[in-house]
Amino acid sequence: MTENPLEPYIESLRQQLEEQDPVVLVGVIVALAVVVITCVFLKYFLTSKTVRSAVLLVGLCDSGKTLLFIRLLSGKFKRTQTSITDSSAPYKAKNDRNCTWTLIDLPGHDSLRSQYLEKFKSAARAIVFVVDSAIFQKEVRDVAEFLYMLLTDPVVYRIAPTLLVVCNKQDVAMAKSAKLIQQQLEKELNTLRVTRSAALSAQDGSVGGSVYLGKKGKDFEFSQLPMKVEFLECSARGSKGKDGDSDIESLEKSLAKL
Amino acid sequence: MLDFFTIFSKGGIVLWCFQGAGVSESFTGPVNALIRSVILQERGGNNSFTHEALSLKYKLDNEFELIFVVGFQKILTLTYVDKFIDDVQLHFRDRYKNELEQKGALKLLNNTFDFEDRFKKLLREAEETSKARSPAPMRSFKESEKSQKTVKSMIETKGGDKSKEQGGKKNKNTKKEGKQSGCLYFNCILFIMMIFTTHSKSPKPPKPKGKVNRVWDNGGSSTKNLDYSNKNGETSLGEDQKNLEVLIFLCLFSPFSPKKSGGFGGMFGMLKGLVGSKSLSREDMEPVLEKMRDHLIAKNVAADISSQLCESVAKKLEGKVMGTFTTVASTVKQALQDSLVQILQPKRRVDILRDVMEAQSQRRPFVITFCGVNGVGKSTNLAKISYWLIENGFSVLIAACDTFRAGAVEQLRTHQRRLNSLHPPEKHGGRPVVQLYEKGYGKDAAGIAMEAIAYARNQAFDVVLVDTAGRMQDNAPLMTALAKLIAVNMPDLVLFVGEALVGNEAVDQLVKFNQALADHSMSDKPRLIDGIVLTKFDTIDDKVGAAISMTYITGQPIVFVGTGQTYNDLRSLNARAVVGALMKA
Repeated sequence: MTENPLEPYIESLRQQLEEQDPVVLVGVIVALAVVVITCVFLKYFLTSKTVRSAVLLVGLCDSGKTLLFIRLLSGKFKRTQTSITDSSAPYKAKNDRNCTWTLIDLPGHDSLRSQYLEKFKSAARAIVFVVDSAIFQKEVRDVAEFLYMLLTDPVVYRIAPTLLVVCNKQDVAMAKSAKLIQQQLEKELNTLRVTRSAALSAQDGSVGGSVYLGKKGKDFEFSQLPMKVEFLECSARGSKGKDGDSDIESLEKSLAKL
Repeated sequence: MLDFFTIFSKGGIVLWCFQGAGVSESFTGPVNALIRSVILQERGGNNSFTHEALSLKYKLDNEFELIFVVGFQKILTLTYVDKFIDDVQLHFRDRYKNELEQKGALKLLNNTFDFEDRFKKLLREAEETSKARSPAPMRSFKESEKSQKTVKSMIETKGGDKSKEQGGKKNKNTKKEGKQSGCLYFNCILFIMMIFTTHSKSPKPPKPKGKVNRVWDNGGSSTKNLDYSNKNGETSLGEDQKNLEVLIFLCLFSPFSPKKSGGFGGMFGMLKGLVGSKSLSREDMEPVLEKMRDHLIAKNVAADISSQLCESVAKKLEGKVMGTFTTVASTVKQALQDSLVQILQPKRRVDILRDVMEAQSQRRPFVITFCGVNGVGKSTNLAKISYWLIENGFSVLIAACDTFRAGAVEQLRTHQRRLNSLHPPEKHGGRPVVQLYEKGYGKDAAGIAMEAIAYARNQAFDVVLVDTAGRMQDNAPLMTALAKLIAVNMPDLVLFVGEALVGNEAVDQLVKFNQALADHSMSDKPRLIDGIVLTKFDTIDDKVGAAISMTYITGQPIVFVGTGQTYNDLRSLNARAVVGALMKA
């Protein structure tokens, strides 16, 4: 039944096509083919751009990100200063698949960190959050605020990269353990959820971070996040100072598991 | 005699360092302080910085992203340091050009930069040249120029003066010609024509003339000349048309001329500049920076801050290699935008609610003091902030330390009554959420503040908001009184209230307020301004430059933005939105 209304149209179309000049027909077919091929290429290129292969090193100022970067790439010890731009280099993970990530070291200074995070967050495969375990007690609120800002960012929430919280500077005697740091951060983030949602909106009306951390009604725990979170201990400087090896095996193992 | 010299990348990896003989302290601390206070706060205008006993000088290499820093004792005045850094930079670049040109950070890690011998040689040369230059001996009278002149030549006559003046003018004009012929080809032709026409009018000595009838231009002897209907009309139209054509011709070509190299070469140079890598030089950036400086000033940024900002951006971009299809203007604009966002981002954590909770857990009240000049909105914004705090469940004590202005205490009492009616005590555990602590007029403000804080501690109030009288920054006794109030009571947060309408005055106000607070405090770590409240933000459209001026001067963040006169008109600052409004044409 459906064929009958369509048949006269198909017939008239066929008649029109046969009446046309063959050159014009060929031209039309070539144009259609080009459009289809371009669409396929575009789709291929667009999807390949969103492949995320960057591992970001973030953290507060002076937490040891640049030294960790140097140790992961070359194993040597070099003196470092406060970074004012990012550094990036390809990193070969120590696993059977031999995948290569791009290791990016972002500056930790307060005025620079949001700019660089904006640039690199969409390409993140994993985020290595470096914490200075020796002075953690004094800085716990600043660490928690940075972590809160990172976790409630809509782009980061959508991509859900693996979060590796590295408790650096374990060679110092007063360094806190990873478990203690995890508990303190959970408590602090719990409080921050309340104060941040009560914060004032910006002057042009925009409200920052509409993501709510964890589950409402329950105390915040890292297991409630959509991404995988792991707490590690390491020491970039190593126990013997300049000449010794650094103690970053746990970090390398985690990076290999990505 | 140098304490240390380091070369490190902008990403933080130290490539090479040298520590002077006998120096045992690490230089990481001073260099970090240099980076944080100068480079990150965009004060890159002058390249020297003092940190405790050391004086540091630095140089940025933007092509390879390196920073060269030298440090020496402050009491030594070494004259060769500037030239020395330049020499070291050139030698380092020449020697390691191949390694530094590779991409990525691996080049810095895999290569070792052995610069020791070359450096020692350069240092020796620099020290020797500074010693070799002995002070110049004074010339004797016979050698000076004055003894060569005759007495007659030194007598000034009217005619002689005029000829000297003319000669000077001619020199200035030719110099101007030389500069402009480089870049403004057609305008230059007009200028030359104008100079020749003015030079033809040489000054004549005034001749005594009798009275002559004045002749007016438009007052002809007969009306026949005013008849433009026939042949006169056509020729005049033709002339107008020719002038119009010349004007259009000039207009078409003038946009092309003010680029880098002049005339027709300029057009090709512009195209060449778009494609391919080109490194930026001062001359390229100068016109764009001028325009940006004027744009910032038009947007109400203080004048010296605009010039300092542009200077700092120029230093950051000098020598940088531009990518393809980026013009000088876009690179400079992007760099300026990034530095403005960097300035407006707070350098410490700003979360008042969290700090109040912390003080609550330590069983002491959180004290906020408001200071500023007259009429900026201290009492109004104090009321708005107390409303915000009450909404979040804290109890507030307002201390009326404005004992000078008539009606100040009554104003605060009215606010207290309104806030209590909005949040009645029945809903908050039977206790009024806002209380006013006042002792009338004429008393000492610092004493009232101290009593108010003690009262708050006894009655377990969470926050104490101290309202002070408005005072001009030049009024020394009032500034002393304010400094005493802050030094004695040690508040947790000292907020400077400034209105967004202020222009260049903002710089003066903040500098003098900070100076007064630093001078009159007894301790060696004086309490300075910790934050800024920017008020009357709804009265400016996009002339938001006052925000930049204030944060640049103090380095402190803008904590609150006041956008109106009701209790809900309190906001926080969104750096990107403000910079967007600032850079909008």
